[in-house]
Amino acid sequence: MLEFRQVHKSYATPQGPLQVLDGIDLRLAAGESLALMGESGSGKSTLLHLAAGLDLPEAGEVSVAGQAISSLDEPARARLRRDTLGLVFQQFHLVPSLNVGDNLRLQARLARRCDPEWAAHLIERLGLSGMEKRYPEQLSGGQQQRLAIGRALAPRPALLLADEPTGNLDETSADEVLGLLLSLVSESGSALLMVTHSSQVAAPLDRCLRLTHGRLGPVDEREASHR
Amino acid sequence: MSGTRLVVIPLTLLWLASCDTGRDGAAPGEPAGFAGLGEEAGDFAQAHEGITLRFPEDHAAHPDYRIEWWYLTANLEDDRGEPLGLQWTLFRQALTPPGERPESTPWAADQLWMAHMAVSRGETHRVAERFARSHSDDDLEERDGQAGARAEPFRAWIDHWQLASHIETSDETSDDEPDTDTFDELELTAHQDDEYGGFGYDLTLTAEGPLVLHGENGFSQKSADGQGSMSSGSMSSGSMSSGSMYYSQPFWRIEGEVTLDGETRTVSGRGWLDREWSSQLLGAEQRGWDWFSLHLDSGYKLMAFRLRGGATDGGDYRSGTWISPEGEPTALTPDEIHMEPLGTRQAAGREVPTRWRLEIPRAELDLIVEAPHAERWMDTSVPYWEGEVVARDADSGENRGVGYLEMTDY
Amino acid sequence: MFTTLATLLSHYKRHPGQLAMLLLGLWVASALWSGVQAINASARDSYARAEALFTTGLDRLERRDGQPLTRDDYLRLRRAGLPISPLLEGTLEAPDGTRLTVIGIEPFTLPGDNAFATAGSLSSRPGDLTIFLTPPWQTRVAPDTLPALGVADRQAPGGEPRLVDGRPLPPLVLAPSLPPDTLVMDIAAAAMLLDSGETLSRLVTAPHALDEAPTGLVLSRAATLASPGQLTESFHLNLTAMALLALVVGLFIVQAALGLALEQRLAMLRTLRALGVSGRRLVGLLALELLLLGIIGALAGIVSGVWLARLLLPDVAATLGSLYGAGVTAELNLPWHYWVGGIAVTLGGLFLAGAGVLWRAARLSVLGLGQAQAWRAGFRRQLTFMTLAGALVALTGLVLWAWLAGQPPGEGLLAGFGLMAALLLASALWLPPLLAAFIAALERLARRRPLAQWALADLQLQLPRLSLAMMALLIALSANLGVSSMVGGFRLTFLDWLDQRLVADLYLRPPAEQFEEIETWLGERREVAERLPTRRIEATLYEVKRGGNTRDLALPTHLYGITPGDALMPSWPLLDTLAGRDAAWQAFGGGEAFINEQLAISEGLTPGDRLTLSAPRGQEQATVVAVYPDYGNTQGEVLFATAQLASRFGAPPGSIGIVLAAGADEAALGQALSQHFGLGSDSLVDQREVKRIATGIFERTFTITRALSALTLGVAALALLASLLAQARERRRQLAPLWALGIPRAQLVQVQLGQLGGAALVTGALAIPLGIVLALGLVAVINVAAFGWRLPLFLFPMEIALTLATAVAVALLATALPAITLWRTPPRALLAEEVNT
Repeated sequence: MLEFRQVHKSYATPQGPLQVLDGIDLRLAAGESLALMGESGSGKSTLLHLAAGLDLPEAGEVSVAGQAISSLDEPARARLRRDTLGLVFQQFHLVPSLNVGDNLRLQARLARRCDPEWAAHLIERLGLSGMEKRYPEQLSGGQQQRLAIGRALAPRPALLLADEPTGNLDETSADEVLGLLLSLVSESGSALLMVTHSSQVAAPLDRCLRLTHGRLGPVDEREASHR
Repeated sequence: MSGTRLVVIPLTLLWLASCDTGRDGAAPGEPAGFAGLGEEAGDFAQAHEGITLRFPEDHAAHPDYRIEWWYLTANLEDDRGEPLGLQWTLFRQALTPPGERPESTPWAADQLWMAHMAVSRGETHRVAERFARSHSDDDLEERDGQAGARAEPFRAWIDHWQLASHIETSDETSDDEPDTDTFDELELTAHQDDEYGGFGYDLTLTAEGPLVLHGENGFSQKSADGQGSMSSGSMSSGSMSSGSMYYSQPFWRIEGEVTLDGETRTVSGRGWLDREWSSQLLGAEQRGWDWFSLHLDSGYKLMAFRLRGGATDGGDYRSGTWISPEGEPTALTPDEIHMEPLGTRQAAGREVPTRWRLEIPRAELDLIVEAPHAERWMDTSVPYWEGEVVARDADSGENRGVGYLEMTDY
Repeated sequence: MFTTLATLLSHYKRHPGQLAMLLLGLWVASALWSGVQAINASARDSYARAEALFTTGLDRLERRDGQPLTRDDYLRLRRAGLPISPLLEGTLEAPDGTRLTVIGIEPFTLPGDNAFATAGSLSSRPGDLTIFLTPPWQTRVAPDTLPALGVADRQAPGGEPRLVDGRPLPPLVLAPSLPPDTLVMDIAAAAMLLDSGETLSRLVTAPHALDEAPTGLVLSRAATLASPGQLTESFHLNLTAMALLALVVGLFIVQAALGLALEQRLAMLRTLRALGVSGRRLVGLLALELLLLGIIGALAGIVSGVWLARLLLPDVAATLGSLYGAGVTAELNLPWHYWVGGIAVTLGGLFLAGAGVLWRAARLSVLGLGQAQAWRAGFRRQLTFMTLAGALVALTGLVLWAWLAGQPPGEGLLAGFGLMAALLLASALWLPPLLAAFIAALERLARRRPLAQWALADLQLQLPRLSLAMMALLIALSANLGVSSMVGGFRLTFLDWLDQRLVADLYLRPPAEQFEEIETWLGERREVAERLPTRRIEATLYEVKRGGNTRDLALPTHLYGITPGDALMPSWPLLDTLAGRDAAWQAFGGGEAFINEQLAISEGLTPGDRLTLSAPRGQEQATVVAVYPDYGNTQGEVLFATAQLASRFGAPPGSIGIVLAAGADEAALGQALSQHFGLGSDSLVDQREVKRIATGIFERTFTITRALSALTLGVAALALLASLLAQARERRRQLAPLWALGIPRAQLVQVQLGQLGGAALVTGALAIPLGIVLALGLVAVINVAAFGWRLPLFLFPMEIALTLATAVAVALLATALPAITLWRTPPRALLAEEVNT
């Protein structure tokens, strides 16, 4: 579903180039879920952006659903995101001009894959019933993140990319949102790549990897013991 | 806009404006002194000590000098006993120095004439102004232009305004007998239409005393000795100390009729005529003047002026003439005159000193000279203040005489 | 305090673009103001020039025996106290064959309000007059005469171009207000050039300065041949109204720029309040900041406004020069009121715009820190407020209109302006609610198209920020439309009026005693196709009879006689007739009357009314068969056929218009005329030339006005651009998630262009009726209130289409810049903006 082969990425900083990803190899099968951990600034988000085709690697190859990202032009990458991917951001990034219902269906309708029953199901499961006419800023933080998850899952994407989806939530809502996310991901049959810095959040996923100094490795003992 | 409009074009400062400015390389800029009177004489004839005045010739125009005037003021009383003042002045200015005169083709001009007339009674003050051009060759050819001044018989005119001799000349009398000077009996006629019904006068002037020469036999110095030549003499060869040829007839008895706002009254009183010509009246630093002419009840006459700025110490230059009832002049030196403004009043929106102390210790004179009416502003193209004054003894407050005061650059 | 101010200003250090935009707004607003001032001045000058062409405004004296006057005659009359001035007039040939009119004046005696005397000629600087009067003298000439003399503009002052015969002219001095092909110089210089010796063309005097001619002379009153008079005043009034509109647009920009700059600092203001800066001090400092910015912007604007006007119209600089003294071209030496006015306007606008923000800053709640803005509810409230306020303003307008309808013509000018202002304000206020409703309706239709739906919803969201710029655009567009239809209509009217009043090719004013003789003589000439004699007399309108009702009046009225011939009838416009045009002319020839619009409006007369007028033999009656427009006139006028006026009212002979036969030699006719009758050189006027030159002068004014309205539109475009740029960053932040959701940037750019283009289209569509109503208000309300007559309303569909296209183009152009930024922003940067928030 998702494959990174020897991916390198660096950023220019005033102190010189900063190597963020230094030869990443990663494979994610369809329906599989993977947690990506690491300190803040370790390059987790960069990896996720590369996976979403929001950015391009300097060296190496990223392919999504068998398509090499770097071989696609900008509109093609956008189409890939629209048709294949679902994105959940830490800051929700809802469209403020659309109400809850329209926000939820937005990507599905853009991808012309809107399944009304699935959308209705999502709304119910996400606890947003009766709020469809509200606007994003009229929701609580947890509700907004649930809506963002719903928007990403509405087109039943092959791959869901989630960047700290519970990072902005308190612990109770975080647990609740995470549980919902996982169960809905399995319902839709999507693969999941989730970036998080919390081992607790990472625990329920199929696999877990840690990003340190631009390289991927297994989680250390102490974290593993949590599992 | 109905009625006659006399002021033709924005003519501010035109009549005395230098014609040299920007012409012969002199830097154009602010005209020096009031209305350009401080301009250097350049190629014009220059007034200086030692010139002997000759009459009646000198009653006529002197086109080789830059500026000249025939300046009559009168303190009159009408048949109802109301005091009344009037002014009639003819100014001449040369447009070019004698050497640069244009050919005398039709309409060509080298002389510019301006006349002011004013009648004042109480708060009323009516003013009119006229302009004309002439060529100095017209005088040689005895051709009357729109304006001019002739000696024999005396006549100074602009359009229908005229100050002219009443005396018929016969060829035998004029030359060797100065007593029959045609200047001794004049008629003044000037009328002007305006929105108030018109004003003007028809007056007979009879001289009751001789002509009075000011300064050194008619040369009236206008700045402290040598001041003008030292400061600018090295720059320009023609430059000399500023001064003018200046004589007066202060002994006019006047009878006639004056019209004010359409109403004509019979008047009588005294007049003073100043004749002055010069090519550089003021020093370059002098800005304006305060000029008194007084008819004292004692029969004496007093002329005194101060030129503001430009004296050696940066102060004022004062001069004057004390004239006996017989017409015997005594020139007054700067230290013999003490004059000091005591109070100002508003005239046409300006602060003008209308109350003065005038002290001439040599003549045992200590006067408070005051204008009863401040609104005597001459709103002409060259604006100034000119009005009647009353002189009182500084101690007793007794009336000592009447006169005229002229103040420029306020 | 300094720290606080530094903190406030630090915002601009981080966002220099915003400071630039704010200054730009202020700059443009005051540039517009001063540009309009300059253009207005130039327009006014054009009228003066046109007037100068029609008449010198002077009465003139000529000898009864037809011999030329001489200098001696002049001196004799001056000595007699007559306020006359000599005038020498002749023609000279320029190297390119142009016939130049040389006018020699005597500046000391020339009446002061005469066109040649006031023609920007003699300045008040000492020495100038001396130079004018003495060799080598000066030639005053308008800049547009220079090409004929073969002189380039730059070399003109002081140049001494030669005539076709090789003789040099006196050094040139530019006097823009002189009519074209006219040289004005001192009479001595003119006498030499024309070789006229002691003779004179004529003596002139101020109008009505003389009651009667001196013996042996003939006095001709200043001929009001065809003075545009009030027509130009009306045009000027309308220009002024339009300049005010331009100012309103400018103020909108200031408001837009300022609102954005301050709004973005609300968070900072809250923080400062939280840190203990008092609200009062904060407001004071903000006001100080406004003042600083305002002064900088205003000064820059005034300078560049004049520069801009000069760039647009080379004549403007020269006009300003003659109006304000010579310093304008070399250095900017404008009179103080010009500067003070410009600064006052800008600062006024600034504080008007800033007041809201200052008020908000003063009431700022410290607890509001970081609180999410409930913009949706806020905007709804704002829309409701706008709708209500708009309704209130509209109601005020209606009341004014109703009141005006009950006023006699020529009154209520202020109310008329108030009505215009109310109309504009109400429209501007209603625009955002209208747009919002329109978008909401469309959104419902776009349910099935997610991107369109989003685009509409997003536009709805942008509306609060955009509404001010859109309001400015609406006003600019309708002003533009109003101007073009007013100016265009005015132009047509003016041309019509010229045709109406200058029907004949030549125009002759014979002395009264020779009138009959000359008319008969003319009738026998082959060159003359038609004679159109006119007469004038004053009479009293005693009563008006309508149906059975008789109304008593005692109204002094002008009677004017024209000759309803083949040349005149087709071009004489009629507004209203009793039974059609042909019938009206037939009845007119038979002794019935036409009345002008002024009389019709002021006395409420209509065709069919029967007038009773005073006449030498008792009273005369006539039926009104038509009403005609009479644009230049101030008074009521009753028109009769000349023959009728002569026989029934005893009107003295006036002038004769001469329609030439095809191919006639007018020069020969002119010569024959002066030989036979000893007529003065200026008693025969070639009207075709007058018409041509007058048209030329007015065309320039029309160009100027168009430039003014184009400028207004440009400024509105800038306002739109400013608002879009100011929120570009935030826009990108809103677009990033969509991009992340899989919408390519190209599509996002298209959507944005579509949004703004659509909004502009709607705004433009609203501007069309508003512009028309505005133009109608100007010609039919303002003009009637000011002068008592209407200008006809002309609509120009091409102009309307052009305005609409301009609106969309302006919006697209304004969108293009932010869109291109979006287009060129690398995705990474988009993301960074997103992530960093």
